Amino acid sequence: MSDVETAGGVGASRTYGAIVWSQLRKRPSAMVSLGVIVLLALVAILAPFIAGEVPIRWVENGQVSWPIFRYLSNGEYAAMLGFALALLMPLTVRLLRRRAHRAGTGGWRWAFLTHLAIGLAVAISLVAWRDPERRYGFYLERAAQAESAWFPLVAYPQNPGYRELEFKEQPPSWEHPLGTGRLGDDVLMRILFGARTAMTIGFVAVGIGTAIGVVLGAMSGYFGGRTDLVLMRVTEIFICVPGLILIIIALTVISAAWLPPLWTVVIVIGMTGWMGAYRLMRAELLRIRSEDYMTAARALGIPTWRLLLRHAVPNGMAPILVGATFGVAGAVFLEASLAFLGLVQTPSWGEMLNDGRQHLEYWWVWASAGGAIFLTVFVYNLLGEAIRDAIDPRLKI
Amino acid sequence: MKTYLAKRFLLVIPTLLGITLLTYALVRLAPGDPVEAMIRAQAGDINPKVFANEADAIRARLGLKNYNLWGKDPQKIDALEKVVNVFYGYGRWMAHMLTGDFGESMKYKTSGGQKSPPALFWERAYITIPLNLVAEIVIFVIAIPVGLAAARRRGGFFDRFSTIVLLGLYSVPSILAGTLFIGFLGRGGLGLEWFPVAGLHSSAAEDLGRFAYLKDLFWHVALPIACMVYGGLAYLAKLGRASLLENLRADYVRTARAKGLSEGRVVYHHAFRNSLLPMITTMVMTLPGMIGGSVIVETIFSIHGMGLLMVGAAQARDLSVIVFGTLVYGALTLLALVIGDLLYAWADPRIRYE
Repeated sequence: MSDVETAGGVGASRTYGAIVWSQLRKRPSAMVSLGVIVLLALVAILAPFIAGEVPIRWVENGQVSWPIFRYLSNGEYAAMLGFALALLMPLTVRLLRRRAHRAGTGGWRWAFLTHLAIGLAVAISLVAWRDPERRYGFYLERAAQAESAWFPLVAYPQNPGYRELEFKEQPPSWEHPLGTGRLGDDVLMRILFGARTAMTIGFVAVGIGTAIGVVLGAMSGYFGGRTDLVLMRVTEIFICVPGLILIIIALTVISAAWLPPLWTVVIVIGMTGWMGAYRLMRAELLRIRSEDYMTAARALGIPTWRLLLRHAVPNGMAPILVGATFGVAGAVFLEASLAFLGLVQTPSWGEMLNDGRQHLEYWWVWASAGGAIFLTVFVYNLLGEAIRDAIDPRLKI
Repeated sequence: MKTYLAKRFLLVIPTLLGITLLTYALVRLAPGDPVEAMIRAQAGDINPKVFANEADAIRARLGLKNYNLWGKDPQKIDALEKVVNVFYGYGRWMAHMLTGDFGESMKYKTSGGQKSPPALFWERAYITIPLNLVAEIVIFVIAIPVGLAAARRRGGFFDRFSTIVLLGLYSVPSILAGTLFIGFLGRGGLGLEWFPVAGLHSSAAEDLGRFAYLKDLFWHVALPIACMVYGGLAYLAKLGRASLLENLRADYVRTARAKGLSEGRVVYHHAFRNSLLPMITTMVMTLPGMIGGSVIVETIFSIHGMGLLMVGAAQARDLSVIVFGTLVYGALTLLALVIGDLLYAWADPRIRYE
């Protein structure tokens, strides 16, 4: 019932997170990069509204329909919901503040749990009851029959089978803002769907890696002794295997027919990229475990798991956050390189860059793909630097 | 110190065992059959019976054969048998390795026709190691003055300018940089056509004199080296700036200033020397990356170095080459870690390793 953070009963005291946030707010580079990241995520999630062949609104014989909502996959709906819930978090925190204060916890935990519950409930019901349309409606061909049709910005078939090769290798124009590629593919469309790959890799793969690293690092640092020795050896093994080679081999082992290639890459990059988080967390816990508040908590008889989960790990998360932000940049880089080398079959900017490299004269292909990778990696690095400076400029990450 | 070193080297053994076992097991347990793929690639479709016999002979020779241990049906090998086979094969590989026999490659040959992994790596080391060393030296020569200049006038124009430029450079993927270099500086047809874009020599390089030959070589490696340099350069310059700033805040610098030393002497003789160390250690740690790390540059510029060898072997699941490469990489990484520790201890007498 008595929590260390609120034990003093000082209502107005600011939490560590609030201090870091106010520091971040002062930095234009942090705000700009955060904005670009949100924009990139938005663009990735809403890709079918920007480029695709399914109209948003369609009126035929006086009947109004909204076809795109029938064609969006369950995954797309889940991603939209998750994004919206994440953006609404601060609002929920404000709403739940009083209740959370009475329970003696920060508002963030309540808000997070509430949103998680809503998200999971909707996701499960989507999978259970919704069956998205998969056939192609040939809306583009029938556009003349409609009384009114709102198409996406780039109204162009996504499936290569329905494309016209006569549209290939066109420089940027109004119909194709970023031009078209060798097979008549719209470059903007590929960039948008590549953004999905990059964002998924960035968030999910780094999330997996960070989670593994935090759990193992906390165990290693807190328990020490034999646990530490064994885990250190395991980490050393993973550090000492050349990353790219491990990834290539693991891709052949993990790839299975039921797992889409994107998720194979995500899992492999996650499982081979946890060593940084491990080392940071271990170092933090070596420091934290001998702090006074840990001794106090231990003296109160708090069980070990709760000690770790509520007191030790949250206090060691700051460097992990910085490392994860840089990690996203690294993972986007890595995925682009893998696709560039032709090692993974996902719609990816790296693959586009490799296409473009063969025909440099069609500059819009490689310039768009390269620019997209650069922008993504740059904003994440910028944000990482800003968070590090806000937390502690002397952190060595 | 001696005990520490002895302990460190003893702990290297389980790590190296773990590394080789991990890669060995992953390659062996992956679904599909590399030997079959190799024969099909070489001979096309052949009589199934001949095919099976040949495949079996090759598997036995390469130590890839899965023996039937207890099952009655010789065609079927269950999961447990497979695992036992992996351990048996690993033991066999180890026994051979201890006598200096690292097996043979399925896919690669040296120009002399040798197939053993050490020979393959050695042949490519002549290309990859000098290339990486030159890149490393260039990185140092440029990064140190940049980091120094930025740190000396903290918050000044050069500091702010270089910070953003370095972060930008650091964020340029080498796949884009290579493409740009080829397009605009090389013979990619977009701009200046100054540099060749593939290989290490002109076609008639053998006939050139020694000086002309070297000139030809440098002309060919300029773009690949530029491609390898810019990222590491940005990273190292940032590191150098941060480390020098930290040292300039230290007490001993204040003491040095207080006793009236000139600013130049304070910076170069005291602070700079101490901030050089993290830069050196970082570079030592990145050296093992030569084995697999420069694969992108090697792909873009068609240089047949170690990176391409490793990646090609991993794709073809060429077991002996992969395991040998990982072993070397692992040993070098561990060595670099120890050297890093020793460097720190040497430079800072307060650090004691037990």
